[in-house]
Amino acid sequence: MTESPHGLSAQLTWRRGALAFDIDLRLPAQGVTALFGPSGAGKSSCLRAIAGLDREATGRVSFGEMVWQDSAQRIFVPTHQRRIGYVFQEASLFAHRDVAGNLDFGYRRAGRPAHLDCDGLIDRFGLRPLLQRRVSGLSGGERQRVAMVRALLSDPALLLFDEPLSALDGAARAELLACLESLHGMLRVPMIYVSHNVDEVARLADHLLLMEAGRVIAQGRLHDTLTRLDLPPALGEALGAVIEGRVVGYDAQDQLIELEFPGGRLWLPHRHESVGQPLRCRIGARDVVLTRAPQSGTSALNQLACRIVDVAAADHPSQLLVQLDAGGCVLLARITRRSWHALGLAPGSEAWAQVKAVALGF
Amino acid sequence: MLTPADLEALGLTLRLAATVTLLLLLLGLPLAWWLAHTRSRWRRPIAAVVALPLVLPPTVLGFYLLMLLGPDGAVGRAFAALGLAALPFTFKGLVVASMLYSLPFVVQPLHNAFEAVGSRPLDVAATLRAGPLDRFFNVALPLAWPGVITAAVLGFAHTVGEFGVVLMIGGNIPGQTRVLSMRIYDHVQAGEYHQANVLSLCLLVVSFAALLAMSLLRSREPARD
Amino acid sequence: MMRRLWQGLLILGSAFASVTLAATPEQQITVAAAADLHQALDAVIVAYRQAHPDTRVDVTYGSSGNLLTQIEQGAPFELFFSADSDYPQQLLAHGKAGGTPVPYAFGHLVMWSASIDMKGVQLADLAQPKFGRIAIANPQHAPYGKRAEQALRAAGIWNRVQARLVFGDNIAQTAQFAQSGNAQVGLVAESLVIDTSVKGSFVAVPSSMYQPLKQSFVLTQRGSKNPLAQDFANYVQSAPAKAILQRYGFELPNDTVH
Repeated sequence: MTESPHGLSAQLTWRRGALAFDIDLRLPAQGVTALFGPSGAGKSSCLRAIAGLDREATGRVSFGEMVWQDSAQRIFVPTHQRRIGYVFQEASLFAHRDVAGNLDFGYRRAGRPAHLDCDGLIDRFGLRPLLQRRVSGLSGGERQRVAMVRALLSDPALLLFDEPLSALDGAARAELLACLESLHGMLRVPMIYVSHNVDEVARLADHLLLMEAGRVIAQGRLHDTLTRLDLPPALGEALGAVIEGRVVGYDAQDQLIELEFPGGRLWLPHRHESVGQPLRCRIGARDVVLTRAPQSGTSALNQLACRIVDVAAADHPSQLLVQLDAGGCVLLARITRRSWHALGLAPGSEAWAQVKAVALGF
Repeated sequence: MLTPADLEALGLTLRLAATVTLLLLLLGLPLAWWLAHTRSRWRRPIAAVVALPLVLPPTVLGFYLLMLLGPDGAVGRAFAALGLAALPFTFKGLVVASMLYSLPFVVQPLHNAFEAVGSRPLDVAATLRAGPLDRFFNVALPLAWPGVITAAVLGFAHTVGEFGVVLMIGGNIPGQTRVLSMRIYDHVQAGEYHQANVLSLCLLVVSFAALLAMSLLRSREPARD
Repeated sequence: MMRRLWQGLLILGSAFASVTLAATPEQQITVAAAADLHQALDAVIVAYRQAHPDTRVDVTYGSSGNLLTQIEQGAPFELFFSADSDYPQQLLAHGKAGGTPVPYAFGHLVMWSASIDMKGVQLADLAQPKFGRIAIANPQHAPYGKRAEQALRAAGIWNRVQARLVFGDNIAQTAQFAQSGNAQVGLVAESLVIDTSVKGSFVAVPSSMYQPLKQSFVLTQRGSKNPLAQDFANYVQSAPAKAILQRYGFELPNDTVH
């Protein structure tokens, strides 16, 4: 496949209070890119600058062939002329219009394009019974769903979602995440998805942008980036492999499913999956136990044969991060130095990665 | 009970209040919008100037206007040079004076309303392809509607009750500047207490009705479009 | 801290009380006077105080009708100098007077302009457009205003100049309209323009054209209890005071036959 033309390209600098921002990112024209980082890293500011909502940033922003901002040439395309769909952290629906009115706001201004399946989107997100309701009568989850469809109906060329699930409680969040997962497949426009929750990132993202203190410190494909050893300690907890596989088995009695991927097979708790469907699974580094030989009599259901590729210090002096190769798939394990030395491990050694089934699945 | 002269004064008063309210809304909406959104260092001084008529005695305002608009004042001379009729003692002059006098009563509620709307709905509208005027008319104004009602009613009621400024710059001319409050004052000075009473009651009823209307209009939902 | 606060308030309060109590009405006269007397009465008071240095005379100037209303509603004036004789008569009729009205002067109506030379101008000439706006006091209640209307009617131009009239709340405001130039000409009290620093010229309106402005004063009920008030009233009718009033263009009651 020929390389798709660039999606968003942004090189911007600005100051906000004590924080100096320096952004340099290039995103593919397709797929979901997660903008991930700790709170205060400046993710929302970055998104707003890309959208053109805050004009303090200087530099260059282009999307495909369109130049949205070029400070050197004094070009600045205002937000309403960039075809963006933005979803804010708190839904921000228009209080003076009902749900239908909100949905129609961008749709009408986009010229009600025929290629947008308006009814399909409304039904897919379960908004049909809500259309005549006032905004004040909606729950948090309902509001965010309206906000998302509203953004989609404005016929955007780029989607910007700013932590849309952060303000929701568990049940609403799970429901909406499932919505977004299903949306992912049919999206034809790229999306930047800001989050500080690694599970959301693992489920939705194809690419990852890591931010810390106003800077992009890493960008790349999701799996590659989360299994790097050179990332700052602040991201320590997020590290781990995100593998993609297919559900090949289902044990109804034990309520477990079997996932097959290049590195082997994994058992994990059955939630809503069905046999044959593709599935992502995150293997957190802290959930991986290393052994020199395969074990029996252990409660951990999963063992994968690996070869140690590399090792680096973790954020805590007692620990190390070990990069493993399982059938071509990179995994990450976090173990103590003591164990590393006690087991006599070294790059190149064979090892077995034990993963609790309970730790897997979302 | 109400003589033709009284009715004339009443009609004049209502006409003055309506004209002033309309003009102040037209002037006040962009001004309040600017005050709510600008980050210019002129914001505070201009807001203070807008608030000035709140604390200035109306007679002071009337006095300065009389000097300014008179034949020796800067504005009066400019008018004469342009061949325009002088403003003191005319309905137009009263409109100008009343606009200054009632300015904060219209601009401040609008300012507060726009600030309460905040920038989030406007950001949202921008991402939904709405340009600046579009955002103002279809998002900011409907959301600020209770503030607009307040501004209109307060401006109207305040102008109806105006006296000090009218006394200084009106000239008490029937049909032109002899508003209801002047008429009441004249009746009192002439010892005609009964007429003064009737007209005062009139003024009270008008003001009360205006405030009641404001309360009723505000309790409804923000305007739908 | 609270005790200090209370102590402070107590001291402040007693100081305030002593100051106000010290200003007893013993050596004070409160006068209400028509607006046209402003400069003339001030001069009379100055002369009075030279003879009575311990007495304070507080004057409030205003429109006669307004002052009457205030006195009837209990305003603490002891003497009421009106611009006519009807208002003091009303005070007596309503039982609020402390004596009978006494005429003290006759006022005169003049035409005054800041911009136009009034020499040789007749009242009927005001119909000419060059006189623009004509300021008169409100005929509804101001004595000078009533006289102005009478004069304009007598000149036969009342209907013609209706649209150009500007009404001052009292004769002083009327003069101010004319003196600021906002009205091109004003029918004002001679006493207000005879000794003014404002640049302008004036000419008398013939007395035959209006009812005489017989100005009377009356003692109020409150004033009847203050011997100083009567004393001042007597002074106003004495020779030195009369001389001052004459200087300000007033005619005196004994001089002409009315």
